[in-house]
Amino acid sequence: MKKGKRPLGKILMILLIAFFYLPILYMIVFSFNEGRSLTGFTGFSLRWYKRMLESGTMTEALYTTFSVALIATCISTVVGTISAIGLSKSKKVIRTLMEQVDNLPMMNPEIVTAIGFMLLFITFRVDKGYLTMLLAHIAFCIPYVILSVMPKIRSLDPNVADAAMDLGATPWQAMTKVIIPQITPGIVAGALIAFTMSVDDFIISYFAAGGGVKNLSMVVYTMSKRVNPSINAASTLMVVIITVVLILVNVIPAIAAKRKASDEVKKRKVFLPAAAVIAAVVILLLFRPGADGGKRPYEGQTLHIYTWGEYTGENIIGNFEEETGARVILETFDSNEQMYIKVANGESFDILVPSDYMIQRLIGEGYLQKLDPSAMDGLDNLTDAVKNLPYDPGNEYSVPYFWGTVGIIYDKTKVDLEDLEQEGFNIFLDEKYRGDIYLYNSERDSFMMALKALGYSMNTEDPDEIQEAYDWLVRCVQTMDPEIVTDEIIDNMAQGRKALGLIYSGDATYVMSENENMGYYLPETGTNLWSDAMVIPANAENPQLAQEFINYACEYDGAYDNSSFVGYTSANEEVMEVLSGEGGDFEGIDAYLPRTDNDMDEVFEYNEATRKVISNLWSRVLIAFSNAD
Amino acid sequence: MKKFSQLAIPYIVWAVIMLVLPVALIAFYSVTEPGNSIFSFSVTLDHYITFFTDPDFLKILWRSLWIAVKTTLICLLLGYPAAYFISRCGEKLQNALILCITIPMWINMLVRTYAWIGLLTEGGLIQRIVSLFFPGEKELLYTEGAVLLGMVYNFLPFMILQINTSLCKMDGALLEAGSDLGANPAQTFARITLPLSLPGVVNGITLVFLPAVSSFFIPKLLGGGQYFLIGNLIENQFITVGEWNFGSAISMVMAFIMMLLMAVVRKLENRNQGGKEERNL
Repeated sequence: MKKGKRPLGKILMILLIAFFYLPILYMIVFSFNEGRSLTGFTGFSLRWYKRMLESGTMTEALYTTFSVALIATCISTVVGTISAIGLSKSKKVIRTLMEQVDNLPMMNPEIVTAIGFMLLFITFRVDKGYLTMLLAHIAFCIPYVILSVMPKIRSLDPNVADAAMDLGATPWQAMTKVIIPQITPGIVAGALIAFTMSVDDFIISYFAAGGGVKNLSMVVYTMSKRVNPSINAASTLMVVIITVVLILVNVIPAIAAKRKASDEVKKRKVFLPAAAVIAAVVILLLFRPGADGGKRPYEGQTLHIYTWGEYTGENIIGNFEEETGARVILETFDSNEQMYIKVANGESFDILVPSDYMIQRLIGEGYLQKLDPSAMDGLDNLTDAVKNLPYDPGNEYSVPYFWGTVGIIYDKTKVDLEDLEQEGFNIFLDEKYRGDIYLYNSERDSFMMALKALGYSMNTEDPDEIQEAYDWLVRCVQTMDPEIVTDEIIDNMAQGRKALGLIYSGDATYVMSENENMGYYLPETGTNLWSDAMVIPANAENPQLAQEFINYACEYDGAYDNSSFVGYTSANEEVMEVLSGEGGDFEGIDAYLPRTDNDMDEVFEYNEATRKVISNLWSRVLIAFSNAD
Repeated sequence: MKKFSQLAIPYIVWAVIMLVLPVALIAFYSVTEPGNSIFSFSVTLDHYITFFTDPDFLKILWRSLWIAVKTTLICLLLGYPAAYFISRCGEKLQNALILCITIPMWINMLVRTYAWIGLLTEGGLIQRIVSLFFPGEKELLYTEGAVLLGMVYNFLPFMILQINTSLCKMDGALLEAGSDLGANPAQTFARITLPLSLPGVVNGITLVFLPAVSSFFIPKLLGGGQYFLIGNLIENQFITVGEWNFGSAISMVMAFIMMLLMAVVRKLENRNQGGKEERNL
């Protein structure tokens, strides 16, 4: 063989390695960026690492990722090895049958396996959480261990164990002293595969975990809609940990091999990694984040909050934890419907923050508990516009959080205000702005837009009107080449990437405070006047603590932190006045103060029959769009 | 030994509960009506009929299969030469290169996919380079090309490693024998190397094709909310719409198609090897 004479091969190899590492390097570089941008490097800073370490979500996620991986690896390696030895001595029928069963998670598409776990846990009413995630991981790791141990056992002389026992060894001794040492390479390989699979997993955890338990993948998936360099920081940390583990795994055996002089080292070779793994598990279990002493009223208790993504202030959670000693687990959703499915599945939360119509539905279906009127100090601070609304007269179940409108965000330099005034929501059908618009991926808001554009009520039950709205939306996605987004709209409009978008007033407030070219327009034909409120589910585990938090969020400090950070209009009257008044963060931004003087504006009312129709039609709109080209 | 075979019993029980039962439940949900329980239910084939009579759903299925085929082809075209090159390197370099390819696989797939967003988005490094050559090409992110790129990026290492393994297993003496008997390098490659590496190619194809068809976070992150593959459709049914029965039916259809494809691949592989044995006789 002539060496060094394959220039094409070399070039290909270099390009491929660049291809593999470029994104990872890019991510690492931008984790040190001073600014928030993912495209322009403005200076070196560690602020995103600080952010990440301060944010409970990220550290929890890293902890979950690695603790689940370690525990699942240990259990599946032991169980997998023992079972493989057992299976190898079983009858052939059983063996081949079990091989087929083991193949299920490997041959099935991962999403099918994941859904299987989810249905299993829900059907048998096992609360989804850390334990279910761990069980699922063990379940899909064992087959890989068996697969890697089995060939080693097969190549073993079947008489060796018998010989050992004839010579007086107990079966246990025969296994540990004779069989296991000979199949160690297979066991180590199996354990490594199990560990990788578990750390890498997203799909199975996504469907099998619950109750706010998230691994890093799930955090990235749910947070990827906003530009958030802390994700880069957490990912970089993960890259570092993995690289160190990999180097150790590759270097230690090499060193050990060099020192291989006596048999004793061989023994140590097995025990060293085993001891390291056990030590790591112990360390992980001891250093569980968020456990510190002190005497506070709710010390050691946990509060599960299920709310919209990017919907809480910068400090409120930390301050609340500080004051009460409780630990807050924040889980987020993209849409009311997504939240409803989890709640209806019996997952337990202490506080939900759904919208008006969804609260009406949850009350109607008995998923909420009444609040304790004697403990409700917070309600007095709130503005009258959000109290006593038809979805919950007398606020027996809910305490308003944010409120606002749905409108059009537009780039004043690209869009003619006259067009907006003439066309209202129909501007989303104006070919002039083709390819330059964002729609919002929400059935409720999209149908509201279409119905209002057509001059109907957004609460219509008339099938013809709904059909017309559906046609309107299909026409829009087929002719206007929009982008259908959720929270991505916020950073993208702040950077002026498109001319128009359907947006919630609170997001518009944020965009306008970042970019002065942006304006917010509410069509004269009316829009949705919405409010989101905090409620306590019937199956809440800690309603008292939930009540405490609700009051905390209604008081000036908590409400101010929420509203000023997120940009949504506070239900707290004073906060609203301060923020929109002179010198306030949102002075002069009309999106912050919801319109209350247009008779065409409506509050969404829940109707089971139309909901189903609209929900189905909206996924049909998305599919039609996906199939448009 | 009877005593050892008892060791497998706990696992058999576990496997029935954790591996067989979930699949049985999906099958069960796919043929029952919404709101049924496992004790009282009525069987229906409506969900399957809905899926197969609707051109929109079929189009999504078709698109998923098609993009998986494209991914697999690209991975094969890039992966085979790369694997071949690696297998021809010295042992040390070979190990180093394999490690180079393995390390990214250890880093979380979602994290790696997320990293592409920064590169492809407007103003990102790759987007800027591309727009130098193709001015006017503003959008890279949220296109089908981005999804394809993400898939190739995630699955290419599987292809390289599989092919490389089977190339390394090959007996070097065969190549020498071939050239001693007068075959030129192209002939040795076509007659010896390629056929012997086929098992690796087949494994690589399955390892790329399978996850590519069912992938749902790559299209979601890089294709945007409006890009639907069959995996997104399933996620949508379970997470947002809440139609589990229909979602289960789609899952069954997908699992069945996969099984069918795998069976075909295995059959081809077996026939290939059978043919060789005959020739050897």
